[in-house]
Amino acid sequence: MTAATAEIEDGLGTLAGTGKLLRFQARRSRMYLFWWIAGIAGFTFMTIPVITDQYQTAAEREGFAATMSSPAMLSMSGPIEYVNAYADSLGALFTHRMLLWTGLMTAVMFVLLVTRLTRADEETSRSEVIRSLPIGRRADLAAALSLSAVAAVVLGALMTLAASGLEGGDGTSALLFGAAHTVIGLVFASLTAVAAQLSENGSTSTGYGLAALGASVLFAGAGNAEGDWITWLSPIGWAQLTYAFTPEQRWWPLLVAAAVAVAAVWLAFTLVSHRDFGQGMFASRRGRAEAKPGLKTATALTFRLTRGLIWTGAITLFLLGLAYGSVLGGADEFADGLSEAQQAILERGDATLQLGFATTFVAINAIVASLFGVLVIGRGRKEETVGRGELIAAGPVARSGWPGSYLPAALFTATLTNLLAGLALGAGGASGDGELFGKILIGTLVQLPAVWVVVAFVFAAFAWLPRAGWVRWLAWTWTLLVVYFGALLDLPEWAMAISPYYHLGDYPAEDFSTPALVILTAVAILLAGLGYVGLRRRNLSFN
Amino acid sequence: MNAVIRTENLVKRFGHVTALDHLNLEVAQGETHGFLGPNGAGKSTTIRVLLGMLRSDEGRAELFGADPWKDAAELHRRLAYVPGDVALWPGLTGGETIDLLGRLRGGIDRGKRDELLERFDLDPRKKGRSYSKGNRQKVALVAAFAADVDLLLLDEPTSGLDPLMGAVFNECVKEAAAQGRTVLLSSHIMSEVETLCERVSIIRKGVIVETGSLADMRHFSRSRLRATLKNPVRGLEDHEGVHDLRTDGLDVDCSVDSSALDDVLAQLAVAGVTGLTCEPPSLEQIFMRFYGDELAAKGVQEEAAR
Repeated sequence: MTAATAEIEDGLGTLAGTGKLLRFQARRSRMYLFWWIAGIAGFTFMTIPVITDQYQTAAEREGFAATMSSPAMLSMSGPIEYVNAYADSLGALFTHRMLLWTGLMTAVMFVLLVTRLTRADEETSRSEVIRSLPIGRRADLAAALSLSAVAAVVLGALMTLAASGLEGGDGTSALLFGAAHTVIGLVFASLTAVAAQLSENGSTSTGYGLAALGASVLFAGAGNAEGDWITWLSPIGWAQLTYAFTPEQRWWPLLVAAAVAVAAVWLAFTLVSHRDFGQGMFASRRGRAEAKPGLKTATALTFRLTRGLIWTGAITLFLLGLAYGSVLGGADEFADGLSEAQQAILERGDATLQLGFATTFVAINAIVASLFGVLVIGRGRKEETVGRGELIAAGPVARSGWPGSYLPAALFTATLTNLLAGLALGAGGASGDGELFGKILIGTLVQLPAVWVVVAFVFAAFAWLPRAGWVRWLAWTWTLLVVYFGALLDLPEWAMAISPYYHLGDYPAEDFSTPALVILTAVAILLAGLGYVGLRRRNLSFN
Repeated sequence: MNAVIRTENLVKRFGHVTALDHLNLEVAQGETHGFLGPNGAGKSTTIRVLLGMLRSDEGRAELFGADPWKDAAELHRRLAYVPGDVALWPGLTGGETIDLLGRLRGGIDRGKRDELLERFDLDPRKKGRSYSKGNRQKVALVAAFAADVDLLLLDEPTSGLDPLMGAVFNECVKEAAAQGRTVLLSSHIMSEVETLCERVSIIRKGVIVETGSLADMRHFSRSRLRATLKNPVRGLEDHEGVHDLRTDGLDVDCSVDSSALDDVLAQLAVAGVTGLTCEPPSLEQIFMRFYGDELAAKGVQEEAAR
């Protein structure tokens, strides 16, 4: 054995070249890091003055606390401990409303980052070139995680800076708020590092990472609604359990998160040493020698390729519906514990608390369901960018069939998942009350025209502006922003009216608007038609 | 002569880059046509315009006499295409992919499919993600050769194949030609084109710089002449049509234009000849002539290139 190989074989040698790789990866990812960090920190910097302005007095904050203390609202924000501190601490109000969302964005950023730098490179054999250099077997993982750590610290510092303007809490509260984001980033970076070792391809690695995030949001929501231990199953929950800016503020939940991150990093490094380059821990199986009889059109192929995504969406939305259903079931009990004044704030018009909750839940279900429609369209775009669609496009298939069949697939996915969520919400929440069950189902159906508008818009953007992926994401993000933050941020009427959901009417709490349903359906058809025209007119750009 | 492919002054721009600059290409029915050019010359862009994936900015493209942009789906029934870089669906096996591509055209000949799988030594049960580049190309080749079509568009189809599979590929193209199919073979492997194609078009920077039968191209180009003489010969260096002359005592080595061959041989005969070889140019030499200035700019002597 030569000196050089001996050096590489010994323990530290598998990390040889980490420093060089780190600089290389930092350079490659600088735009990615810049936009994500600027986006998350910028969003925080911009919302703080708005909220400060809106909830200046303790009385205003106390009124808001009454609306926020229902299980439904807690499941979409954070633990009740924050709400109890609203009156004395604006920081508590802010952390309570925002940490789930900025934490979520942080997690997505790190899941995608680590996959990009590890498995995606290995899959496309970009890192094969790197491995052939005098660079250790574990160096790329070490560099990816080091870069993630640096990014997490920078993000945490900016978040600390942003939160330092908030009143309430003590001198360390803002630092705790920032550190919570750093830790969320580290946890999801290290979990994704493990996921990247398990599967052979990048999209599965991203999928595992996002599934962990989905479970994390679900557990945090379920736990926070009832204030029980389930929150402890969630990395985002750990960040929330620090109770930053409240009198009960504490640091140690972050230690739990740090311990999990360290364990995941250790596992990832162990797995790297136990597998071959390019392989996953799970070897891919051999498949069929011949295609099933049904696989004979471009549309059949589209549905086959999006099958996994459709199942993921169906299961996610079903669980989401069940989780909200359990909250809805407990709504009356919760109402009994409130003063009449508080009940008055919570009830929308003449509707009961239960109907008010149901209204919120069917809207959220619809937005999450439309996300899966948007993801299906994104798959269509990916077929084009990675060149797989070229074989189909060269076949006797019209543009309406390929890539056009991604619209029916997306509409099917969004509609199916929304209906499943509605059924689960009704089954879990109505507890045998046939009338309520019916109202929930109708409320779910009422959402569909708005869901279709979002999906059709995204399809039209895919047809006319294929390179501008951000337009597709902006459309969906806007609908989310309006529902969650529209009232909180005091968005102007016209800005909220851009979201199709805004026009539906708050059913079942109030009446729905039949003309709006008709018009939105027509808009969806129009956008779909526009999309097909655009597909017919544009170049297909395969690499 | 019935043209299967015809482009007239075809222009395609990508932003500020002009990929095709008034390109004129004609491929007659039943011929195997070589489409030669280095990477980036516009071969793939031309094929994608012919497939109706890209819309031309100026000029006309015709496939079977119809407009490939307007009638793409209908025209695709009559052709099969193998891209230069085949990307497969990671979750679909090779067999599934071949069947799907066949069924899009209305069905696949099972016997032919299985025979081709055998000849190309391809395992149809592997998933797309686990094939190597060569094997991905084989999947597309099997699907293309199994299809009952009039035209094969092959874009650098052998770049990932080993020599054994290259030989199988050559056989398959010859069989297709024997069945009267038209083949457009884009390549930068000269020996492949020399073996398979009767006509060739050379593309450079989006323009066809030379087109014709290989025999004609050889005829109109320079041959390499080497002779050993009895007596020294004078005046060859100034002779029109003589290039790259090198004399070493009684040995003469030069390139001679076809038009001057007559005259030069007469002069050599006067000096007396003890040995003589005269080679027609290889396709590679013909090709290099059109890229001579580019090579010179990169510091490669034409001498070395030949």
